[in-house]
Amino acid sequence: MLELCNITKVFNPGTVTETTVFSDFSLSVQKGEFVSVVGSNGSGKTTLLNILCGSVAPTSGEVHIGGKVVNRQKDYERYRTIGRVYQDPALGTCPSLTVFENLSLADNKGKRFGLSAGVNKKRQPFYREQLASLGLGLEDKMHVRMGALSGGQRQAVALLMATLTPLDVLILDEHTAALDPRTAETIMELTNRIVREKELTALMVTHNLRYAAEYGTRLLMLDKGQIVLDVSGEEKKTTTTESILQIFNRISIECGN
Amino acid sequence: MKKALCLILALVFVCSFAACGAESGKSVPVIGISQYGEHASLDNCREGFLAGLAEAGLVEGTDYTYDYQNAGFDDNIATQIAQNFSSKNVALMCAIATPAATACYAAAEDKDIPVVFTAITDPVQAHLDSGNITGTSDKLPVDAQLELIRALQPDAKTIGILYTTSEPNSVSAIAEYEEKAPAYGFTVEALGVTAQSEVTQGADTLIRKGVDCFSNLTDNNVVGVLPSILEKTNEAGIPVYGSEVEQVKLGCVACAGIDYFLLGKDTGAMAAKILRGEAKASEMEYKTISEYAYYTNSAALAQMQITVPDSIASTMQDAAA
Amino acid sequence: MTDLIISTLTQGFIYALLSYGVFITYKILDFPDLTVDGSFPLGAAVTAVLLTRGVHPYLTLPIALAVGALAGLVTGLIHVRGHVRDLLAGIITMTALFSVNLQIAGSNLTVERKVDTIFNLPFLSGISLLYRKLIVSFVLALLCKLILDAYFRTKNGLLLRAVGDNSTLVTSLAKDMGSVKILGLVLSNALVALAGCVVCHEQRSFSATMGTGQVVFGLATVIIGSTLFKKLGFVKGTTAAAVGSILYKICIQCAISLGLPANFLKLITAVLFLLILLAGNLRKGEKSRA
Repeated sequence: MLELCNITKVFNPGTVTETTVFSDFSLSVQKGEFVSVVGSNGSGKTTLLNILCGSVAPTSGEVHIGGKVVNRQKDYERYRTIGRVYQDPALGTCPSLTVFENLSLADNKGKRFGLSAGVNKKRQPFYREQLASLGLGLEDKMHVRMGALSGGQRQAVALLMATLTPLDVLILDEHTAALDPRTAETIMELTNRIVREKELTALMVTHNLRYAAEYGTRLLMLDKGQIVLDVSGEEKKTTTTESILQIFNRISIECGN
Repeated sequence: MKKALCLILALVFVCSFAACGAESGKSVPVIGISQYGEHASLDNCREGFLAGLAEAGLVEGTDYTYDYQNAGFDDNIATQIAQNFSSKNVALMCAIATPAATACYAAAEDKDIPVVFTAITDPVQAHLDSGNITGTSDKLPVDAQLELIRALQPDAKTIGILYTTSEPNSVSAIAEYEEKAPAYGFTVEALGVTAQSEVTQGADTLIRKGVDCFSNLTDNNVVGVLPSILEKTNEAGIPVYGSEVEQVKLGCVACAGIDYFLLGKDTGAMAAKILRGEAKASEMEYKTISEYAYYTNSAALAQMQITVPDSIASTMQDAAA
Repeated sequence: MTDLIISTLTQGFIYALLSYGVFITYKILDFPDLTVDGSFPLGAAVTAVLLTRGVHPYLTLPIALAVGALAGLVTGLIHVRGHVRDLLAGIITMTALFSVNLQIAGSNLTVERKVDTIFNLPFLSGISLLYRKLIVSFVLALLCKLILDAYFRTKNGLLLRAVGDNSTLVTSLAKDMGSVKILGLVLSNALVALAGCVVCHEQRSFSATMGTGQVVFGLATVIIGSTLFKKLGFVKGTTAAAVGSILYKICIQCAISLGLPANFLKLITAVLFLLILLAGNLRKGEKSRA
């Protein structure tokens, strides 16, 4: 479903600040996999997502999504089959539009944004049902401006919006990091449920080792642009927060921090 | 606090609007004077206009009152000033400079309020030559100016002129200069700018091109920064000729030009006739002044080492500060 | 007094068209678009030339819209495709338009009185010009407002609103936010040029400098409008902009009418704005305390 082949990425080539983030990096994610990615700052997690989504072009190598090479596609073209939830809850929704309008926008993804009515009343019951499934009482806030909701509520709607249309891959970019622990827990559980229910292929970058251990079907640890840990299947089920932490600490000590 | 504020606002709005309504009821005719902006020549026009009314025997307070408004070179405000006059049903509008006149004329379109303008170079081009409108034109005496420059600088070859490309008055004056200069043995080096901020750069360019003198039109943008132009030309030892006494006062060596006070006075005389009912604006031709005022600035002349030939010395007045 | 109110309202309605344009760029797209100072006289220049050539007055309206749209397109392309900063992109187009406008009109241009304008419609001939101007400008302002409001409710309109709000989301929706921004600029400047066109009909003149300060005017009206109506959620942004425009014109007219020395005009206008804004802010404060 998702494949990075021999990716090399060099920032500022030929200058003093030249940095090689990836060198001959490859990763393949199967359909239906829920991959958690952990790694310290500077390990290449963000660059990985950016290369995938098209906001950063690789120096060499190929990006495959849904069986197609997408290197030449612009970021917005790739999002036709990519859903993304950001760390900042404000990035996933439009604050001055209502919940209804936000969902209507997301519902129309991939279609023409023409001069037909922006919101469709007939879809309202469906949205209600979807909102109700979040269990946050949002179904009664259909006509409330998004900006008036709390960060957690916004993130929940953002999650819903990102998964409203069929996807090749769902990207979760530290999407619980800006929330308080309890809200983060709720959002994480929601994420897990949605990914399972809709049988999505998901890539989740997180700093929370417990989430990485508890959720998902596969776990990747990145360090200096290399995959240092890749567990899945039964092995993944037995992985605990402690065991990841041990590896994590070892790497950090090697780095000198 | 909020209520007080709202109340004050409402009061201001109502009072100011009501004031207009009240004034139209008075029996003394009101003259609305709309001046495009604040600058010495236009001020002279206004003062001349009032003097012209007085000379014609009209006494302020008993024969007329006037409402003077200044648009600060803003076309939109000129429009609203004109509409203000129109809604007050003033007896006559006096418009100083083209944009003010255009606005007054438009505001008076469906009312029979006469408009008397002044300081417009080309009323025909501005379509202000027919209808209930008349006034005075300040077309520059290009021949007289060329003659004056030739008399004071017998060896000069090129005249540098700065002008704003969007001022029709300046554009037509440049055309006339270019047409007539060869007959006096000059070539014209005209440099167009689009804004006041570009004028001093333009002056540098002309100085670098080695012009023998500058001639200064009545271009609003250029006149506005005349002191800084003079600073540069004085340093370079290049004399600047003006088109108006105010420019000579600022440091131009000499001018053959319009006396805006006299121009305003003529305009006032025309307005007086209209107010008295002796003539109609629609039937009066606009006037172009045929007598020019010659001024010199003795200090500037001395600095440039120019002597005024005896043949014309008697016609010149010294305007040095 | 009635005359004065009517002509002031007329001005307010005409300039409301410009306020709508600035509302789209400033409030919706969050784009400080300085093209306005050039596209406003552009609409007037084209109109003046067309009217002088004997083109039907109605026809000048769509033509002005089209040339304004073109100006917006240029700014949009410079900004989005040329990656030039928003302010600078507007400045570039505005500067270029100054020459373009003069090229179109030759120089400052006045339209003769015998030429018909949109205010001399045959079916309104029984009414005095003052009222005709009011009616026509009101109809135009209302029509544009209704069309805009309807547009903002379409899918495309929602997308436009989303761009200024959160451009990342637009990319996530698989739409090129650059194109949407360009569309907004096109729409905005079309309206601004339409305002210039109507002003040209009303004043029967085009002057190269008539655009100076229009951005500032537009911003002021949009901000006054939105400050006054912030608490009233149901008042549309377009209505707020139109009310802002009318209030602005009233302020200037008040300053003129107060009969203070002419040079105080701008100061008085500034003080009146300040009072309106303060009154709006106080109202907000008191409600939130309640």
